[in-house]
Amino acid sequence: MEIVVLIKPVPESETRLRASPDGRRLDSEGVRFVLAGYDESAVEQALLLKENVPGSKVHAISFGPARCGEALRAAIALGADAATWIEAPPEGSDDPILAARALASALSSIPYDLLLGGKHAGDDEEGIVVGAVAELLGIPSFGSVTDVRPAGPSGLAFQRPTEAGIESWETSLPCAIGLQQAWNDPRTAKLPNILRSRKAPIAKVDWPTVAKALGSESSPRSLSEEFRLPAPRSGAKMIEFQTPEEAAEKLVRLLREEAKVFP
Amino acid sequence: MTPTVLVIAETSGAAVAGPTQEAFGVARSLAGADGSVVAVTIGGPSAARSLALLGPKEIWVADVPPESITSGAVAILAAQAAEESRAEIALVGGTSFGRDLTGRLAVRWGAAAATGVTEVAIVRPGALRVRRPVFGGRATETRALTGPRAVIALRPHAFPEAPATGGAPPIHVLDPSLLSASKGGARRRSLAPAETGSGPSLADAAIVVAGGRGMRAAENFRLIEELARSLGAAVGASRAVTDAGWRPSSLQVGQTGRTVSPQLYIAVGISGAIQHLVGMVSSRTIVAINTDPGAPIFKVADYGIVGDALAIVPALTREIRRVRGLSET
Ligand SMILES: Cc1cc2nc3c(=O)[nH]c(=O)nc-3n(C[C@H](O)[C@H](O)[C@H](O)COP(=O)(O)OP(=O)(O)OC[C@H]3O[C@@H](n4cnc5c(N)ncnc54)[C@H](O)[C@@H]3O)c2cc1C
Ligand SMILES: Nc1ncnc2c1ncn2[C@@H]1O[C@H](COP(=O)(O)O)[C@@H](O)[C@H]1O
Repeated sequence: MEIVVLIKPVPESETRLRASPDGRRLDSEGVRFVLAGYDESAVEQALLLKENVPGSKVHAISFGPARCGEALRAAIALGADAATWIEAPPEGSDDPILAARALASALSSIPYDLLLGGKHAGDDEEGIVVGAVAELLGIPSFGSVTDVRPAGPSGLAFQRPTEAGIESWETSLPCAIGLQQAWNDPRTAKLPNILRSRKAPIAKVDWPTVAKALGSESSPRSLSEEFRLPAPRSGAKMIEFQTPEEAAEKLVRLLREEAKVFP
Repeated sequence: MTPTVLVIAETSGAAVAGPTQEAFGVARSLAGADGSVVAVTIGGPSAARSLALLGPKEIWVADVPPESITSGAVAILAAQAAEESRAEIALVGGTSFGRDLTGRLAVRWGAAAATGVTEVAIVRPGALRVRRPVFGGRATETRALTGPRAVIALRPHAFPEAPATGGAPPIHVLDPSLLSASKGGARRRSLAPAETGSGPSLADAAIVVAGGRGMRAAENFRLIEELARSLGAAVGASRAVTDAGWRPSSLQVGQTGRTVSPQLYIAVGISGAIQHLVGMVSSRTIVAINTDPGAPIFKVADYGIVGDALAIVPALTREIRRVRGLSET
């Protein structure tokens, strides 16, 4: 099975978020971008399938600025066989539809049976890209998926937790999946593999090539105008009490009269 | 300006999903007095009748067997309704299916797209401004969506449900043969209904009561469930609880579990590790109950009680039953 994993580098989870000087986006100065969140699960799921379906290959691809290289190397260190960086224009790499168009265009020359991505990216949380790529390629797609298993000679079975319950699906290939959780927690890379990945080749598709392929669809239509951090919560209003009953009474009064969360 | 706003409605039998009712409210305000609200749903006549009560000017329906309802199929039908209605904006409720659909529909219909939206405004024809939480609610961004068309998925519970207004709009039936061109053999094999028994599901609930390791033992978790029942809330758990097998992993909130953003989140005996916080910080009001006054959960909470959950929670359940006039059962 040819498995392509879509990777979007996101800031390390401990990053202190700040707005850029123009206030329009996250200040990426000094921020480390890594392979994280649901994309890590997608890589894990790809590797599990590779281990279970003989002859499988995992190809990691990423659209964005040069920092994509780091995240792609992380995927190689974990066990991906190949990596491709698709260069983004200076403005608009965060438009999920433009990202999807660029990725789908690159996929015209990369073989795939299964596309795996995250349920949503850890930064923008759009949950748009996987479905949009699938629509461009004319293949089925499913988001918020857990537990993808091979089924039959050329199919997959998986679960999808929804508001109504847990759905079980079977699908033929090719298809695209936005992953919520693999069978296992994401593995960590071994040091020798990390060292080896530093020298691994990463194929590059440059932006002019992508732009030419996209033609009139190469300009972004979703642009970040403002990035704002919430006013820090002033800290909890602590409830003073002598007895549990008093605590309960005071809390319920605050919830009804001040927070107005129920009548 | 007279925009036509299409609501992609989720229905089940005659029931219209809560997030769809929220989308109707937003659609009405975007359409204003001069524009119009129209709707499309996958469902039978009873779905169309229920939808009509929310006052759309026209309705498009397609009947597709539940096991074949994929985002690909719905994108085809919704795009057809969008063309026929000459809509400029398509609104999708913030369900997991709605988010799945957004990217596909946007590509198919040639639109810009955004999900998880908490504010939306028309700046001028062909230009929308949306606001949405990012980084698990640790920041918000404002984006400009340009071009003649946009698909917007709303964040659940960010808007009130629209009241019914009544009406008898024309109903157009979409031809199921539209789907014959879609490729791929995906089939839903089964649906195990959410194990709620009574209460709402975690993703839908307006109130979530979540317990952590501080509940001390599996059997004490029943106190969490009783409090949830008194509030009509869903039950959540920290990973410490699901890892210990006290409750199933479907209840886990956080980075590797579900992300929730209810009106009220009550965290009981949960320390507030960052992996838990990312799944719930965007809740509107947060209450923390913990024996440790230094627990990080108090930094994100609006109201805090330093005390033993095993004593506080039953008292809270009794107090809520009292104010709601519920009997002790
Ligand atoms: C990659 C990764 C992913 C993760 N994903 C998740 C996730 O999705 N969700 C998640 O929740 N965690 C996740 N975790 C785990 C997370 O780091 C914490 O370990 C976990 O959230 C702790 O759960 P807890 O708060 O219930 O337990 P603890 O941290 O042990 O906290 C228990 C709390 O209960 C309090 N307490 C004790 N007794 C009482 C009492 N009688 N009354 C009241 N309070 C009491 C204590 O003061 C303490 O604050 C993840 C970790 C990693 C590394
Ligand atoms: N720029 C990108 N390059 C590669 N994959 C991406 C990119 N953006 C998003 N994805 C994939 O699509 C998933 C959903 O992203 P999003 O729609 O931005 O929430 C991510 O988890 C990735 O798997």
